[in-house]
Amino acid sequence: MEAIRYYVQGAFQGAKMTPEVLEQQEELIADLTAKVDDLVAQGKSQDEALGVAIASVGDLSTLVAEFESADESPAAVPTASVYAARLDLHTIAISAGIGAAVMTASTALGAWSGLIHPGAGFSLVAVLAIGIWWVRGAYLRYKESPETAETRELVYKARFRHALLVWAGVALGATALNAMTGTDFWCWPIWVAGGTWALTVKVEERLAKSAEFQAPTQEAAGE
Amino acid sequence: MGDTPISSDLIRGHIDTIVLGLLSAEDRYGYDICKQVALLSDNEYELKEPTLYSAARRLEGQGLIRSYWGEESQGGRRKYYAITSDGVQAYQQNLADWKRARRLIDRLVSGEAEKE
Repeated sequence: MEAIRYYVQGAFQGAKMTPEVLEQQEELIADLTAKVDDLVAQGKSQDEALGVAIASVGDLSTLVAEFESADESPAAVPTASVYAARLDLHTIAISAGIGAAVMTASTALGAWSGLIHPGAGFSLVAVLAIGIWWVRGAYLRYKESPETAETRELVYKARFRHALLVWAGVALGATALNAMTGTDFWCWPIWVAGGTWALTVKVEERLAKSAEFQAPTQEAAGE
Repeated sequence: MGDTPISSDLIRGHIDTIVLGLLSAEDRYGYDICKQVALLSDNEYELKEPTLYSAARRLEGQGLIRSYWGEESQGGRRKYYAITSDGVQAYQQNLADWKRARRLIDRLVSGEAEKE
């Protein structure tokens, strides 16, 4: 039924040919064809049936516009106004605390059981020092502007995936260094430190929901 | 007065329920739904395809119906709609709401409550 196909494709002219639009066209063509067949079975001529079927569909511009607006508007990203410095300080302090505890315990356990080289203590100290510097930086930012509100996108899945990839990279790097040096010198502290970044994403996700870190929105503050 | 076409505005707010009701009997494709609406209304109301497709997308987005493609025929593949278990529940709730609203509107427009 070429005439129907031309009519439908013409109605969607200018619209971006997404899979959804193509499916909608296909559905409309099939439905109009069924309607024409029905009308012909009722005694109308093919041309007459085609005219009646097309006229009965009415204005397709609203339907086409629905696809255009769906295509133009980006998916709504959930956001929240938060006390950024306060949230960051708590997130970093909790994550670094957990990471440091795991690093220290695992290194001590490894040294005690003889599974890792006692020299891993050096990398432990270095990583702990970086952790302290990290927390200090967050604390200074908090002291400087404790009430700074910031709108944050509450999108954590992608960040967490990215952090896990970095973690995998760090673990691979540490393993390569171990293999190169023939020791377990690098492994545990660096491996756990890499995971701490992923931990921050989960900690922030949980804390951001807490009322303690939620700031009034700009609209609400302006009222 | 009986010959006046029924106002679309009166029905528009109930299209989702009408579609759910038709699908609760069996899976149907778009034209079949429009045809059933015409038959059930004795051709007093015509559900146009664009309106149906919008309602179907909305209902599918809400998980109340699902769609699937049928076999290829002369006019191409037909897209069928089927009601989901959530859709059945929503339909029953909508139906109960409608019956309650209808009783209330009947009383309000006839002024029966005032007479009582």
